[in-house]
Amino acid sequence: MSRPTSSPTDLELMEHADGERDDAELAALLERDPDARAKRDAIQQIGELVRGHLELSADAVHDARFAAMWRRVDGQLVSPATSLWSRVAAWFDRYRGHVITGAVSAGAVAALALVLRPGVSDLAGHVDMRPVALRSTPEIDSVDTPGGSSTVINLDDEDGHAAVIWVSAADSDPEAI
Amino acid sequence: MTQPMYRPALALAIAVAALVVAPGRARAEVTVDCEFLEISAKAGDKPAIDAELKPLEKKLKKPPLSTWSHFKLLSRSQKVLAKKKPEAIGLKVGSATATLVEIVDKSKVRLTITIDDAKGKHVVDNTTTAEAGDWVIVVHELPGNEGHLLSVTCK
Repeated sequence: MSRPTSSPTDLELMEHADGERDDAELAALLERDPDARAKRDAIQQIGELVRGHLELSADAVHDARFAAMWRRVDGQLVSPATSLWSRVAAWFDRYRGHVITGAVSAGAVAALALVLRPGVSDLAGHVDMRPVALRSTPEIDSVDTPGGSSTVINLDDEDGHAAVIWVSAADSDPEAI
Repeated sequence: MTQPMYRPALALAIAVAALVVAPGRARAEVTVDCEFLEISAKAGDKPAIDAELKPLEKKLKKPPLSTWSHFKLLSRSQKVLAKKKPEAIGLKVGSATATLVEIVDKSKVRLTITIDDAKGKHVVDNTTTAEAGDWVIVVHELPGNEGHLLSVTCK
């Protein structure tokens, strides 16, 4: 059975109900066909019901949930690094492997240099103070007393040694003191 | 991105820098802490030794220093001596310099001390190797049975 040619199709009714089609011929057909008008009105009502339901669902979402969503979005956005520190950090981040390799190599070479260089005994920088009982007597490497004479005496006690360098005028006798 | 060939070059550059810098720093750190006590000595009826001279008291009571009984501290100074760098020692009478020649066997200090008297006349120039904590006492005998002493200990 074929549809009367004077009746609008369902597609035409849906387009008319959605406001997408509003020509004079279709309006005349609807004017003559009460069934088509009823169908168009039903389509409009269903459309409004669906739109109303969706709007109510959107309104039902709590503001706090939206705020949390935006915070998550903001956190995932990466701002471009523009400060000096950021650029330095980015450089180290980019060449981290190179820097580590260089540092390890430098440490190894520095250690070798420290171990192999002459005069290793000076490396400590400071002298070790030994217990008094283990100390040796002071040694006078040289004494020069222009216009006088010198005598060296070693004194020792439980506090340690003392090298006494006694400088006298040439005509005096330190042994006579 | 830097090419991989740059990595050994960067490592080499840092290593060379460390090689140049590290030994220099080690050499610069050779120092000893020394204490200098300038003392005047003379004979007297009753012994009198300044309290600050307590570390030397036993030795001051032994011959030949015991020829004097009055010991007075004229000046006291602490100096950090760096290797082969003469350091002027401020004295009340005359002047002096001290130089760390080297550290020997990790526990001894080889020290050069020069002293000029109040008139600028050279009194003594001596080099002594002493254990850390021991003393070197240079005694300049003065007219009138008096003495001018410079005592040094390093650690």
